[in-house]
Amino acid sequence: MVNFSDLNFIFRFLPIFLIAFYITPIRFRTWTLFLGSLLFYAVGDIRMLPALLAAIIVNFLFGKAQFAEKSKSLLFFILAIDAGMLVEFKILGQFVNSSLLPIGISFYIFKMISYQMDVYSGKIDKDARFIDVATYFSMFPQIVSGPIMRYEKFLENPMLDESAGRDKSIFAHIEDGLRYFVIGLAMKVLIADHLSMLWHDIGTIGYESISTPLAWLGAYAYTLELYFDFWGYSLMAGGIGVMIGFPFIVNFDHPYGSFSVSEFYRRWHATLGSWFRDYIYFPLGGSRKGSARTVFNLLVVWLITGFWHGITPNFILWGIVLFVIIVCEKYLVFKVLPEKLGKVIGKINVLVLIPLTWVIFAITDFDMLAMYFSRLFPFFGQGIAVNDNDFFKNIGVYWMVLLPGLVLLIPKVFEFWENRRGHVVFNIIWILLFWFCIYSISGAAGNPFMYFRF
Amino acid sequence: MKFLKECPILIGIIVIAVILTVISFVCRGSVYEDYADEADPAKVPALAVVFKAARDQVFPWSGTSGDETASVDGTDAIQGGDGTDADVITEEGDVTAEGQADEAADDTDQGASWLYGDVYGDVSDNDVSGNEAEPETYEFTEVDDDYFTDALFIGDSRTVGLSEYCEPLDEKATFYSKVSLTIYTVMDKEFVKTDEGKISVDAALRENQFGKIYIMLGLNEIGTGDTEYFINAYEEVIDRIVELQPDAIIYIQGIMHVTAEKANGDKNFNNEKINERNEALAQLADQKKIFYIDMNEAVDDEDGNLDKSLSFDGVHLKASSYERWYEFLLHNAIVR
Repeated sequence: MVNFSDLNFIFRFLPIFLIAFYITPIRFRTWTLFLGSLLFYAVGDIRMLPALLAAIIVNFLFGKAQFAEKSKSLLFFILAIDAGMLVEFKILGQFVNSSLLPIGISFYIFKMISYQMDVYSGKIDKDARFIDVATYFSMFPQIVSGPIMRYEKFLENPMLDESAGRDKSIFAHIEDGLRYFVIGLAMKVLIADHLSMLWHDIGTIGYESISTPLAWLGAYAYTLELYFDFWGYSLMAGGIGVMIGFPFIVNFDHPYGSFSVSEFYRRWHATLGSWFRDYIYFPLGGSRKGSARTVFNLLVVWLITGFWHGITPNFILWGIVLFVIIVCEKYLVFKVLPEKLGKVIGKINVLVLIPLTWVIFAITDFDMLAMYFSRLFPFFGQGIAVNDNDFFKNIGVYWMVLLPGLVLLIPKVFEFWENRRGHVVFNIIWILLFWFCIYSISGAAGNPFMYFRF
Repeated sequence: MKFLKECPILIGIIVIAVILTVISFVCRGSVYEDYADEADPAKVPALAVVFKAARDQVFPWSGTSGDETASVDGTDAIQGGDGTDADVITEEGDVTAEGQADEAADDTDQGASWLYGDVYGDVSDNDVSGNEAEPETYEFTEVDDDYFTDALFIGDSRTVGLSEYCEPLDEKATFYSKVSLTIYTVMDKEFVKTDEGKISVDAALRENQFGKIYIMLGLNEIGTGDTEYFINAYEEVIDRIVELQPDAIIYIQGIMHVTAEKANGDKNFNNEKINERNEALAQLADQKKIFYIDMNEAVDDEDGNLDKSLSFDGVHLKASSYERWYEFLLHNAIVR
């Protein structure tokens, strides 16, 4: 049920929760959200609920002490506890048993770290109530895979604040959230889940036996799959947030419209990128301490980013490759080359190199990864039992999913809808889209979000 | 009215959800009777059943007559095995097989045991007379690839893989294979490509003659019905093929195993179940026209599971592993 595209979530948990949430008097609504979130988490993984609760309590208490008197050593101590907990569970999950990795730990620990640093820096100045802090850490729309909202945004919810003016009715909030939820659901269920079948088929054939065109098709199919899986999830999560009064959190801002890889990562999983910028890169000095130090800081950020996604070597390699590309862009492409040419190269980086980095991201086994790249670039020998028609066969089957995926890459398309989302035509399409998704879900055993395990 | 203007999508979704839920309750005892297990209200919302059934072409307006058609077709199918010229399993028959398996199994039980007795009578007769009068027996021998020039392969996605990734075989042999094909749909599903469009295997076998026919089916339907039900359907298909292709050597191929990892914890896709069905399939061979071969020896690990280095998903061979299957066929052929 901890999957937004699960029928039990859509038709049972969410409506019942919304009713409970809105019939609770405003003063106690945060409690409803907190208890609902604990229930949501318990259904997903009750064994790890104590770990979440312990982390919440410890972080609240350290924050409280910090409000009383700012202390750098106290800050370092709690950051070490939080980071240590994340690292420990990641190692347990990787080397002992994957079920030992608590759901959403990568995300709630990052929220906790941002909270501690914001309290220390004075960005959060009022003494925070326990219920607010606990709900912020654990709220169900965000606990599984983000977005990593900041605490200040948590406080910007008119539905939780008695003194706040309400310019929109409850139903207007739900309706607008529902719009984002449905489009996210469609991206996830109709595009990403179907493209995952293409990627799976390529694995079934075996990387040593795919033709070079199919290898490239696979790289782009996986690129689109990952994008719509995670963007779709983020829209659903953001939409549920809107339903209960929070501002819509933009986690994906049309990254493939970027003109460089560094811009891409400001617009891809933006709440994670800005987290790394604010809590790792800037505290290390950012780009203000000279070129050598900047390069080092970038290396640290990208190594941690790789590690955060998973502790198999391919994720570290993925982080290092992105680090190299970004450093090259910063000190070579945009510094030395004329602006126009730099833009062209930056665009090529986004549209060609990024999909290749996703291949590194996708294949955890180094030998298989090397095999895949040898099919992408077949200069070093032939494949085994390659069927040269495999590309056309798969295009024939998957064009129906690839095409809408490619169209949605164009920023204007989504913006067109977003600006006219109340239009009656869109309303009708959205109702049909919703039920088409339900039809699709009820036939397939839902495959959980790919980002689930991170 | 203001309300409708404020949240049209919400209202649209709620109204449709309520209607579908009501339908699912009203039709629970009739159209959706056979989905009781799949749509347990404790596990999924009640309206899910409407979508599940719609995928099998069962709609609220299909009415209860669906059940009657199903049982009638079930009987037809059985009679087809008798040698009467029946269109073995009709389109509704498909639905019977997939969606209403349990009931259909009950319906056909009687006919099935009748058929079972009949054919086994034949087999034992032949065995007895064969031993006394015709001492000639056939041995599996090695052949070269020309052997497959007049061979036909019928099967599901695994046979599709064989056609796509075993070039020497694909060059010689004919393939009537389709992803997710089952023994219940094999004869009547119209998927065999011809110049005039797609036709059924039944129709294609009426038009074209083959010297050898290889069949591997049985994994997709492993969760449908019990072994007896499966074998009866298989036997009907074989009988029909013998009728249409009296001179062909028919190879029943044992169902290929899955990997230990895939089998582990899966109540259907496991090798005990596959072996049980393979043992029953082996009994269908008469060693004269119909032979049973089991290619698992070419791809199993020492524990009798599909070797995991040969498969990515635990079910299908990797492209580079089809060679083993082909080698097995080259070494286990009947020459008459």
